[in-house]
Amino acid sequence: MSDPALPIAEEDLHAWIDGQLEPGRQEAVLRYLQEQPDVARRVDAWRDQRDALRAALAAMATDPVPPRLKLDRLIQQRLEQRRLPWRAAASVLLAFGLGGVGGWFLRGGQVPPEATITLLAQQAVANHVVYTADRRRPTELGAQQRDDLARWVSNRLNHQVAPPDLSTDGYSYIGGRLAATPDGPAGLFMYDDPQGVRLTVFVLPLNAAASMPIQHVDFAHVDGCAWIDNGVGYTVVGKLPPPELRRIAELVRRQLG
Amino acid sequence: MTGSGVLTRIEACIPALRRYAAALLRNRDDADDLVHDCLVRALDKLHTRRDDADVRAWLFAIMHNLFISQLRRAKARPAGESLDETHEAALSMRPDQENALQWRDLIRGLNALPVEQRSVILLVSVEDLSYADAATVLGVPIGTVMSRLARGRERLRQLTDEEAVRPVLRRVK
Repeated sequence: MSDPALPIAEEDLHAWIDGQLEPGRQEAVLRYLQEQPDVARRVDAWRDQRDALRAALAAMATDPVPPRLKLDRLIQQRLEQRRLPWRAAASVLLAFGLGGVGGWFLRGGQVPPEATITLLAQQAVANHVVYTADRRRPTELGAQQRDDLARWVSNRLNHQVAPPDLSTDGYSYIGGRLAATPDGPAGLFMYDDPQGVRLTVFVLPLNAAASMPIQHVDFAHVDGCAWIDNGVGYTVVGKLPPPELRRIAELVRRQLG
Repeated sequence: MTGSGVLTRIEACIPALRRYAAALLRNRDDADDLVHDCLVRALDKLHTRRDDADVRAWLFAIMHNLFISQLRRAKARPAGESLDETHEAALSMRPDQENALQWRDLIRGLNALPVEQRSVILLVSVEDLSYADAATVLGVPIGTVMSRLARGRERLRQLTDEEAVRPVLRRVK
């Protein structure tokens, strides 16, 4: 069909009307239409018909969408039908690849804040587990490049952030990295205590999320404290007793909030 | 690709799905039922979708399959009368348009076409699907899309010509 020498077929004429003609055929079609005024009139009529149909039906697509066809409502209904508690619902969403915390699900404030915290903490824990297990290269930029990391992460998150200082609680900063989440990039800062126990601070911007106070979240092998301040989600994750974790979370919050 | 991105793109397609369904079924309530079932099915199938697949073509294909099984079920029942309210729905939005008469005839002609031709004309002319996407949506080869499009457009042209000519003939009589 792309050979300009091929005779013009009816499908070329329709492709021309629909703007789907291969570029090489354009000239041949125009020449043909000049030579065949009868065909050209018919083609004009088809094109007018196409334009008129688009115009006549245009208004139907600007009609407001009725509530029962709203996507967030359909998703809510699905979750309710499954009668899952919110924590389980959150893992269903993640399994479905819908684990967006800040982008879509929070729009309109439809998702209970507890689910947001759970989804946020799940991402923080996933990154904690993967990167703290790496003995040789747990971070992208080490403690010496603290300023470089702060600049890099701040740029990617579009939010000014620097690794907090937890030395008063006995944790020294060992480095950080950019982490991946369904909601885009997050910052991950890593610390360890003199025994080598690692702790991470996770920072994820969540456009529209409502602020939430510090909450304890427990997972199978680690504990976390998560909160949301001014549209940014924070999580501290580590194998620490809950009161100690909470104290560190408050320290982080004072420095980053 | 994030899950939230897919949902945003699905949401953006809902007005077009409603329009296509209404023009196909010639009835707005039935159309919204079909779109509703389509969205529910899409959410069911979201985790099986390939990330690189076009969301719009994917949704139209889901809706087309639902529409076909609906047609099969309807064949078992005696044929009901079509409410044929597409043109009203379309035109009630703009009662002041000069083109209202021409549009009414056009939509009437469209509604008179066999559903195979109507769906191709709508997908290609109104919803701007490529021939390849329309073929995927309808589950037929591209050649079939092209021949249905050609036959449908020509038939619609003749129908609207007749509509335009008839009042003149009557007056002459």
